[in-house]
Amino acid sequence: MDTPSSSPVSPGEPILELRDLCMHFPVHEGVFNRTAKYCKAVDGVTLTLNAGETLGLVGESGCGKSTLGKCIVRLNQPTSGEIIFEGTDLAPLKRKQLKPLRRHLQMVFQDPVESLNARHTIGETLTEPFIIHGIGDTESRRASVAALLDRVGLPANAVDRYPFEFSGGQRQRIGLARAIALNPRVLICDEPVSALDVSIQSQVLNLFLELQREMGLSYLFIAHNLAVVKHVSDRIAIMYLGRVVELAPADEIYQTPRHPYTRALISAIPQPKPGRKSQRIIMEGDVPSPIDPPSGCPFHPRCPHATDKCRTEVPSLRKAPHAATGHTVSCHYDL
Amino acid sequence: MSDSPSPSSVPVLEVDKLVTTFDTDEGTLTAVDGVSFSVSAGRTLGIVGESGCGKSVTALSIMRLLPQPMGRIASGQIRLEGRDLVTLPIEEMHKIRGGRIGMIFQEPMTALNPVHTIGRQLSEVFLLHITQDVKEAWAKGIVMLEKVGIPAPVERMHEYPHQLSGGMRQRVVIAMALACEPSVVIADEPTTALDVTIQAQILELMQQLQRDLGLAIVLITHDLGVVAETCDDVVVMYAGRVAETGPVEQIFNHPSHPYTRGLLESIPRLTTPRKAELPVIKGMVPSLADLPDGCRFQNRCPHRTDKCAEMPLLEQVADDHACACHHWRELPAINVS
Repeated sequence: MDTPSSSPVSPGEPILELRDLCMHFPVHEGVFNRTAKYCKAVDGVTLTLNAGETLGLVGESGCGKSTLGKCIVRLNQPTSGEIIFEGTDLAPLKRKQLKPLRRHLQMVFQDPVESLNARHTIGETLTEPFIIHGIGDTESRRASVAALLDRVGLPANAVDRYPFEFSGGQRQRIGLARAIALNPRVLICDEPVSALDVSIQSQVLNLFLELQREMGLSYLFIAHNLAVVKHVSDRIAIMYLGRVVELAPADEIYQTPRHPYTRALISAIPQPKPGRKSQRIIMEGDVPSPIDPPSGCPFHPRCPHATDKCRTEVPSLRKAPHAATGHTVSCHYDL
Repeated sequence: MSDSPSPSSVPVLEVDKLVTTFDTDEGTLTAVDGVSFSVSAGRTLGIVGESGCGKSVTALSIMRLLPQPMGRIASGQIRLEGRDLVTLPIEEMHKIRGGRIGMIFQEPMTALNPVHTIGRQLSEVFLLHITQDVKEAWAKGIVMLEKVGIPAPVERMHEYPHQLSGGMRQRVVIAMALACEPSVVIADEPTTALDVTIQAQILELMQQLQRDLGLAIVLITHDLGVVAETCDDVVVMYAGRVAETGPVEQIFNHPSHPYTRGLLESIPRLTTPRKAELPVIKGMVPSLADLPDGCRFQNRCPHRTDKCAEMPLLEQVADDHACACHHWRELPAINVS
């Protein structure tokens, strides 16, 4: 591995800040392919990731959590807002300006099959980051790759093998090895264990936790499985239709969820404990389309507590009443 | 369901020592090796296991839908209401599928035909099994959509699958599975592709329909949470064999097989201390072409001894609770909840 470059940010201080980030995709319609509407995948998200912590980002499909992750590493060019990484706003940077910063900010993808090049050996895949950033020579790169494989628990002979020769769990280890190759400071992990079997999932989660302890990594951990997210995260943000509806320390959000959506989401997780759940909150209907979101509070059509105020006024993210600091919620009412 | 006593204790579906093999380049592989279980009316049996454990192949064997020509049922019986499906002529089998046995698949987008309307696909089921009258079939389709909780069913009949959300599509698939009032429904990962809040809706719907129609359900899943909340009995499969089987409370509160215990210990729960190291099952599932002699789990098992080179048989642990391990008696007590 490359010698760690020390981060100017000390643990606990903000390393990555999103300010009012928006990602609106144009939707084309008609014969002239005019932009008729916008799909507001991410609509004004403000979040802070502190150095050394894991921020969990939870939501259902289509809530914009993956788009948000892609915006941060600039795989999507955000429509507006700021992405402040160690004091630099990444949003307006050009490709060239971005390149030296990219090594500090890496991504782990959900599908370890699609995210690895099937025609490259594992050695080639893992050497690529060093070549792109011009680090080391052939000899030292080889040593770095060997160290990486060892670090993520793969055999040394993996270097000359191809992705198809590995199982899902091993491929995710390869994806993780590639992400940590250049000693990054922040990892954006997009559903990194969702495609894995139960017995493999815990192995990979343990690896994530070990790497964080050893390398002082900060994770933005995007997933839909709340039990998994709660296990790895310090704080959790819940997203709904492109907005953050609640943000709180991991334990607190489970014990005292304040937003009606968070409550329904937590109550819907099947627990590996026999006995049918009677107190489960079953929400009616589906998530509305982000192209044509509801007026007022985006959750109001599915909310059991919705009033006229919810239909007209958009609630802002505010400190949850009678809660510890760091617990914010976007609901008009104190439920 | 466990709280409602089953109308009859006679099993509707019995699978007896099922062996399913596949002819491949690597020789004949045994995907399902001597699996037995039974389900009674009004009850739900969960089959759990990881990818490649043979749970889906078991479902395909029951339906006689194994990929041809590679897959075949080598031995064993599958009795539906007393009739052995394994030896049934294929024309008879057509009547059983969708008639006596309904199927719900994982991916509602691939289970539905994208170029046909919901109405056409749904009425096809009635036309195949119940009536010749197109109008009557259409009307029955509307009733079914209503039953599975689809709003505006009359309009939905004219729509195409892509116009519906994932949860709505799965409701359509359930409507098709239940159209002919089957006695058994086989649901292969019915909620895996859905979000948790939608999953809750679908599981609720399946339970309600089961109560109304007295269905026997075989639920195949990898999600232990779903099993715990919806099943009466559980079969835990590992590498083509039954590792453990029993009532859901027994399996979750007193797991006896090291594999079941490992699985239950390794899943993060809302009550697990945050960031603590999770107990893991070492290694990975062996390939079917490369199974160890004797106990299939031995290479990953922390309690392995020389005796494990011998294939363990299912031994009775308690009433209806059986476990295929030589050492289940000696294993230390664990607390999994």
